[in-house]
Amino acid sequence: MSKNTDLRHRRKVSQDPTKASKSDNDKVNKGFESYKRDKLVAIYQALRSDPVDVAALRKFAISKGGLLTDEIRRKAWPKLLNVNMFDTLPKGVNIKEHRDYDQVVLDVNRSLKRFPPGMKDEQREVLQDQLVEVIVRVLCENKQLHYYQGYHDICVTFLLVVGKESSVMLVNKLSTHHLRDFMDSTMDRTKHMLNYLLPIIHKSNPTLYDFLQKSEVGTVFALAWLITWYGHVLNNFRSIVRLYDFFLACHPLMPVYLAAAIVLYREEEVLNCECDMPFVHSLLSKIPQNLPLEKLIVDAGDLFVQYQPSQLAKEARLYYKQSSSLTTFQQLEESSQSQRPDSILQKLTGRNASANEVPLSQQSNRMVKVAVWALSMGIGAAALTVLNTAMEFWT
Amino acid sequence: MATTSNSNINSINEEQESSSTSQDSPSQRRIFKVIVLGDSNVGKTCLTIRFCGGEFPQKPEATIGVDFRDKDMTIEGESIKQLQLWDTAGQERFRKSMVQHYYRNVHAVIFVYDVTKLSSFENLPTWVDECDRHSLSSNIPRVLVGNKCDITERKVVSTNMGQKFAEHNDMPFFETSAKSGEVGESVNNIFLYVAKKLKSQKPTINMRAGFGGIAGSGRTSVRRLKLKSTGIQGFEPEKSKSKCSGSTCFS
Ligand SMILES: Nc1nc2c(ncn2[C@@H]2O[C@H](COP(=O)(O)OP(=O)(O)OP(=O)(O)O)[C@@H](O)[C@H]2O)c(=O)[nH]1
Ligand SMILES: [Mg+2]
Repeated sequence: MSKNTDLRHRRKVSQDPTKASKSDNDKVNKGFESYKRDKLVAIYQALRSDPVDVAALRKFAISKGGLLTDEIRRKAWPKLLNVNMFDTLPKGVNIKEHRDYDQVVLDVNRSLKRFPPGMKDEQREVLQDQLVEVIVRVLCENKQLHYYQGYHDICVTFLLVVGKESSVMLVNKLSTHHLRDFMDSTMDRTKHMLNYLLPIIHKSNPTLYDFLQKSEVGTVFALAWLITWYGHVLNNFRSIVRLYDFFLACHPLMPVYLAAAIVLYREEEVLNCECDMPFVHSLLSKIPQNLPLEKLIVDAGDLFVQYQPSQLAKEARLYYKQSSSLTTFQQLEESSQSQRPDSILQKLTGRNASANEVPLSQQSNRMVKVAVWALSMGIGAAALTVLNTAMEFWT
Repeated sequence: MATTSNSNINSINEEQESSSTSQDSPSQRRIFKVIVLGDSNVGKTCLTIRFCGGEFPQKPEATIGVDFRDKDMTIEGESIKQLQLWDTAGQERFRKSMVQHYYRNVHAVIFVYDVTKLSSFENLPTWVDECDRHSLSSNIPRVLVGNKCDITERKVVSTNMGQKFAEHNDMPFFETSAKSGEVGESVNNIFLYVAKKLKSQKPTINMRAGFGGIAGSGRTSVRRLKLKSTGIQGFEPEKSKSKCSGSTCFS
């Protein structure tokens, strides 16, 4: 626990409530820089500790600014997913034979918006080829998975941050966990996942809920948000990777909680809209590009702690029990607590890394739980404190 | 004068209904809901964007789920406040579990295939069946659109094939290009055809179902419109054996 308290303590100090003044902005900026510096140090420390302090990494991925840099993401994302980056998936597979190959190509060809605007065509084309390869190699590795339009929006985010080979590994893991329910032959379980959205809004704002129900808007407006982790609907790449930090550290339903937070945030606009499906669908599906993401992340976490999935499961038609994303998440949580730092993993390459894992029973269970804010049951309040400290600092 | 927000359409005959006023009160406005169906990549999104006044997209994106677009328009002096277009995802998985919701209370259907891709044409019966299965009544206007006819060198579905299918299924047929205005029927005219067709239909209470919330009113009275022959009617399937894909359809 020590390094976390440490960080919080340091933040408190620099936060010392000097009265508001003209140079507030300067102070906020300075505050941001020193917060960032402290956070960077703490993140590297978590990455180096043995076993890797995944609980702390989760916390950092959630709190203000997320994992801050792509360099950190390259190191931390694998830990959040419990992936040993020194492993590889088979390379020589014939991707063209896969049943979804043609559709993947059609979609990747139409993904120009996802690449940095200034990028040269030739460079982008290389990346697009790599994107097809990443997607289809993962599909070949997991015969039970079905490609869906939107999966490419997730994969491109990984490709642009961690590169081709690492993407294959990360997306492979993600696809059998967080994204698993989207990848059935049908979208029934995805639909069920969306069924959580309205109950969350109901609990939080009954008036808004009544309005949405009356309009018969349904939940399809949030479909692309959920199955692309917002990669399809946000234009700013920095915002997208920030959200990926958040989602990788959290429960698979967190994108739905964020959707609820966004709808709740837009309450006024929604209530002013004509109460009819097309109008409400149209309003909601066009996501504003200037959303206060950090605030909404806190809101989503707040909603999660207050209205946990298990609590809503009844309203969401008992989806919880049928979901493999949700059940395998728990296993992922548990297994990810015993990862070795990269320095050691590298040495272990070629040997059976798992044989060297520290047994789960030796882990500090409490520590694990505190940071696994996303899974929280009775520990919601503690987790929220962590978040609120970060928020206080920024507002 | 039929106008759209772009108002570049001047080929539709003006037909002023004698009993109608051109000023609609909000409670009288009519909304026409049109669903656009067809395989992935045939150009549904490009077509609807073009119709709604946009340019041909330089950076097109796959549709995930269902996108909504609308356009206010006036036809024959009557303000149809909105033509609402539901642009659906072509991938089968979306069709099977997500799109159903959007078949409800639909007023017209546009089937699209890609003239350069045979499979998108061969799959049309699936789309038509799907539509039937969602109990869309058979008198709902349907049109068939062969898109991408600017790519003449790779055209594999001939005009004749398209026309045969359309006749067989009793719908008007257009070939067009979302990319180039030079070939085929103009995108605008296709949608205007649909709008006009809808307007001329005898409105039924059923047509209003699902839109009860509009303007806070209860059931709205919809004016009955006498249908007079217009240039467009010359292109009903039975009369259009020859050239409904020409650019003179509406002249
Ligand atoms: N040459 C040419 N290309 C077109 C035309 N219309 C669309 N395209 C291209 O065809 C591709 C698919 O167009 P979309 O509008 O995205 O297709 P869609 O039917 O909406 O596809 P889904 O959303 O996957 O169902 C894009 O790359 C467009 O640029 C056309 O008229 N001519
Ligand atoms: Mg589309």
